[in-house]
Amino acid sequence: MTRFLNKKESLILAIVSFLILVVLPCLNAFVPKESFFHVSDFTINVYGKYLCYAVLALGVNLLWGYTGLLSLGQCLFFALGGYALGMHLMLMIGKLGQYQKDIPDFMVFLEFETKYAETGGLPPHWMPFRSIWFAVLMVIVVPAVVAYIFGFLAFRSRIKGVYFSILSQALTYAACLMFFRNDFTFGGNNGLTDFKFILGADINTPETKRWLFIASGVLLLSVYLLCRWLTSTKFGLIQRAIRDSENRVLFSGYATAHFKLFVFVLSAVICAVGGALYVPQVGIINPSEMSTDKSLEAVVWCAVGGRSTLIGPMIGAISVNALKSWATRAFAEQWLFMLGGMFIFVVLFMPNGIVGLPAQLKALKARYIDRKKSGEEPAPVDATEPAPATKSAD
Amino acid sequence: MMRFLRFLLLAVVFLAGPWQIRAADSNRADLVTAILSEDLDHQIEIIKKLSDADEPIVTQVLAAWRLSEVYIYEQDDKKIPFLLDPQLNSDGEAKGLRIIDGSVINDAEGKPIWFASFDLVPAENNSKLRIAIKATLDFFSLSDPNPKVRRDATIKLGQSQNLDYIPNFEAKLKKETDKETIRALKEAIALTQLVDEKKEARIAGLKKLGELRSINSMSFLQDFLKKTKEDTKVDRADERKQAESTIKIIEGYIAMGNFAGTSFRGLSTAAVLLIAALGLAITFGLMGVINMAHGEIMAVGAYTAFVTQNLFKSWFGVSGGKFDMYFLVAIVLSFITAALVGLILERGVIRFLYKRPLESLLATWGVSLVLQQIFRSVFGAANVQVGSPSWLSGSFVVHDVLFAYNRIFVIVFAVSIVYGTYLLLTKTSLGLQIRAVMQNRNMASCIGVRTERVNMMTFAFGSGLAGMAGACMSQLANVGPSLGQNYIVDCFMIVVLGGVGSLGGTVSASLGVGVTNQVLEPWLGAVLGKILVLSGIILFLQWRPAGIFATKSRSLDG
Repeated sequence: MTRFLNKKESLILAIVSFLILVVLPCLNAFVPKESFFHVSDFTINVYGKYLCYAVLALGVNLLWGYTGLLSLGQCLFFALGGYALGMHLMLMIGKLGQYQKDIPDFMVFLEFETKYAETGGLPPHWMPFRSIWFAVLMVIVVPAVVAYIFGFLAFRSRIKGVYFSILSQALTYAACLMFFRNDFTFGGNNGLTDFKFILGADINTPETKRWLFIASGVLLLSVYLLCRWLTSTKFGLIQRAIRDSENRVLFSGYATAHFKLFVFVLSAVICAVGGALYVPQVGIINPSEMSTDKSLEAVVWCAVGGRSTLIGPMIGAISVNALKSWATRAFAEQWLFMLGGMFIFVVLFMPNGIVGLPAQLKALKARYIDRKKSGEEPAPVDATEPAPATKSAD
Repeated sequence: MMRFLRFLLLAVVFLAGPWQIRAADSNRADLVTAILSEDLDHQIEIIKKLSDADEPIVTQVLAAWRLSEVYIYEQDDKKIPFLLDPQLNSDGEAKGLRIIDGSVINDAEGKPIWFASFDLVPAENNSKLRIAIKATLDFFSLSDPNPKVRRDATIKLGQSQNLDYIPNFEAKLKKETDKETIRALKEAIALTQLVDEKKEARIAGLKKLGELRSINSMSFLQDFLKKTKEDTKVDRADERKQAESTIKIIEGYIAMGNFAGTSFRGLSTAAVLLIAALGLAITFGLMGVINMAHGEIMAVGAYTAFVTQNLFKSWFGVSGGKFDMYFLVAIVLSFITAALVGLILERGVIRFLYKRPLESLLATWGVSLVLQQIFRSVFGAANVQVGSPSWLSGSFVVHDVLFAYNRIFVIVFAVSIVYGTYLLLTKTSLGLQIRAVMQNRNMASCIGVRTERVNMMTFAFGSGLAGMAGACMSQLANVGPSLGQNYIVDCFMIVVLGGVGSLGGTVSASLGVGVTNQVLEPWLGAVLGKILVLSGIILFLQWRPAGIFATKSRSLDG
C-alpha cells in the first residue's frame, strides 16, 4: 500500500477514514441527544447516502476523468446493483406486506399468482434471490455482463467521443422504459420498496442505519484505494494516454478497445456496488433512478469537484448533494436554476473544479500582479482554457 | 265520431293551408287513431305507415308514447290523447296539448286545465309496440338532413336483419344522393338478404357484400358461415362456398387497408421525427455541437405557438377565420423566437466550447435544465392547451382508411422544410459558407469566410428549425415543460443513425425508424416497440458505425 501512497497522504487518509468510520458513528451512538456533538440518525442516514453517491462519482470519474469516455449510463449500473439487492430485500419482507402473502405486494397486485402459478406467484428468476450471497453476486455480475456486452459492441466498432455518450444515453433510456413496464417483473413504476429486514436485522432501526453507513464508508475507502492503485500503475498510464490521444496509443501497438472495455466494466461494477448499498439506506429503488438525468448529475459532481483527480469527485458528490438537500428545502423552485447554472458555470469557468480552484486563483493573481507591474493593457482573461483532461484526439 | 272529426279537420286545413300542413295534420290524426285503437296489429300497422311521415310532431309523439308520456283525458265521453306542455307552473303542473291539433285542453269555462303528470293515465304501450315505434323512429333518421346520421341509422337498421325493412331501404336508395349513405343502404339490403328464405337471395346478398368490401358485416358473415356448416337438414354447400369467398375478399381488403393505414401512420410518425431531428442534423450533424437543449428549444417553439394562440384569442375572439390563421403566424414566430434563443445560447455558451464537444454536452444540458425551470415558472408545471385551427382538425376516409388532416399537414410540412433546408444549403451563399466551414474550419477561415458569423447563423437556423418543429408538435402532442425530453433521445439516435453531416441520412433514418415503430407497435405495444427500435439502432451501428450515409473523409476520426 505504501508503494502508491506517500506518507503524508497515508496520514490524511487515515485521519479522514477514522473520522468517518469511527468518530461519526460513535457520536451518533454514544453521545446523548441533547449534546452539541450528537449526530442525529437522520444525518447519519443522509451522509450514508452521500457516501454511496461518492462511490458512483468515483466510477464515473474512472471512466470520464481518466479514460475520456463520457458515459451517460452509469446510473443504469447504479440502479441495476440497487435492483439486485432490492430483490433480495423484497423477498425478506415475508408475510409482513400489505397482502400478507409470501410474495412481494406488487406481485399480488399484478396477479402474478395466476401468471406464475407453478412457483406460487414468484417469477422463476426471482427464486435464487432468497439467498443474500446470490444477490450480492448478482449485484456484481449483472451490471458487469450488461457493460461487457454494450462496451464490446461499442468499442469494437470504434464508437467514441460524443457518439459513445449518445449511445449510452439510448441504452439507459431503453432500459428505463423497460423497467417501467409492469410485466418486466420488477415492480414497474413503483419499483421495489417497503423493505423490512437486511441480514436478519430490522432495516429501519438506527443501529442498522449506522452499520450501513459504516459499510458505505468502508466501500468508499476501498474503491478509492483501488482507483488510486489502478491509476498509479502502468495500466493507469495507458488509460490516461487513451484519454489524451487514443490514436497514438493505438499506433503504439496497444489494443485500446480492450483497455476501454476493462475500465468500462470495472466502472460499472463500482457503480453497481454503490447502488446496492444505496438502496437499503433510502429504502426504495425505482426506474427513475436510472434515467439519463441522474447520470448527467453524477457527471456534474465530478466536474464540480474536479475530474481527473480522485479526491475531486468525492468532494463534488458530497458537496453538490448537500447543497441539493438544502436548496430543495429552502427554495424548491430555484433548484433546477442552480443546478443548470452550476453546470454552465463549471464547464465555462472552472474546468478543473473545486480541486483545481487554488491553482486557478493563483494563476489569476499572478496575472494581476504582472499587469500591475507592467502597467499595460491586461491580456484578456481566458478562463475558458480547455482542461487538459479532454483534449480531443488529434 | 273519429272519422267525422278527421274529415272536419281535413276540410278545415285543406282550405286553410298548403299541402304540407294538411299532410302533417293527417299524420296527427293517424297518431290519435293509433293511440286510441284497441287492436295491437292495427296500431303497429299505422305506426309502420307513419315511417314515411317524417314530421317533428310525429317524432315527438312517438318518442313520448314509447316513454309512456302520452296521456289520455276523457271529456264528454270522448278520449283525448294529449302531451304535457314542457312549461310547468309553480305546483309542477302543466297544460295539456291535444295531439290532434296542438291546442290547449280547456275546461267547461274555457280556462286551461292544469295536469300533474303523476295522477294521469298514460296511453298504453307494450314491448311489441315499442319495438315498432323504435323502428319507425330509426327510419326517420334515414331521412335526416345530416348524411352522417342517415348513414349510422342505415347501418343500425341493416344489422337488425329485418326483411320487412328492405322495401324502405330500396325506396330510400332511389332518393339518396350521398355516396357513403348509398353504400350503407346497399350494404344494409345485402346484409338483410342473408336471412331471406330464398337461397338465391341469400347468395346474391353474399356476393353483394363481397363487392361492397363490407367490413361491418364481417361478424354476420362468420355467423352465417357457421350456420351453414351446422345445418344438417339442407345441403348448403354452395352458400358456404360463396360465404367463404366473400370473407376472403373482405379479409384481403382489411389487410390492404391496414397496410395503407400503417404506411400512412408510419409516414407521419417519420415526418414528426424528421421535423424534430432536422434542426439537430444542422447543429449536431453539420456543426458538431451536442446541443442537449435542443428539446427545450423545440419547447420554446411550442410555447410561442401557445402565446400566439392566446394573443389571437384576445384580439379576434375564438370564432372566425382570423383566429384560424393564428397557426401560420405561430410557425413564423416560433422560428424567430427559437432562433433568437439559439443565437443567445451560441454567443453565450457554445462558442467557447467548439473544440470540447463533451463539455458542450454538459453545458447545454445545464441550459436545458434552466429553460425547463423557466417554462415551469412562467407557464406552470401542467401542460398547456394549444387548440387546432379548424382546417387542421378532422379527417377524411378513403376505402375505410382514415387520413387525419393534422397528420397530412405534418407530412407536407416536413417535406417542405427539408426541401427548404436543402435549397438553403446548396443554392445560397450562406449555404456554401456553412458547408465550407463544416468541411474545414481553418481553410475556410483562411480564404475569408467569417467562420464566427457562419457558426452563429447556422446555429440560429438550426434552432429556428427546432422551434418550428415545436410549433408543429403542439398540434400532435402535449405542450409542457418536459416536451423536449420526450424527443431528445430519438432525435440524437436518428442523426447518428442517418450519418452525421448528411441530410439525406437524417431523412432516411427517420423514415426507417418511423415506419418500423408503427409496424411494431400493434404487436408489441408502444414501449416495447421503442425499446426494440433503440436496440436495433445500437446493433445497426455495429454494421455501419458511421450511420447509413457516412460522410467520406480521409481524416482518422472521420
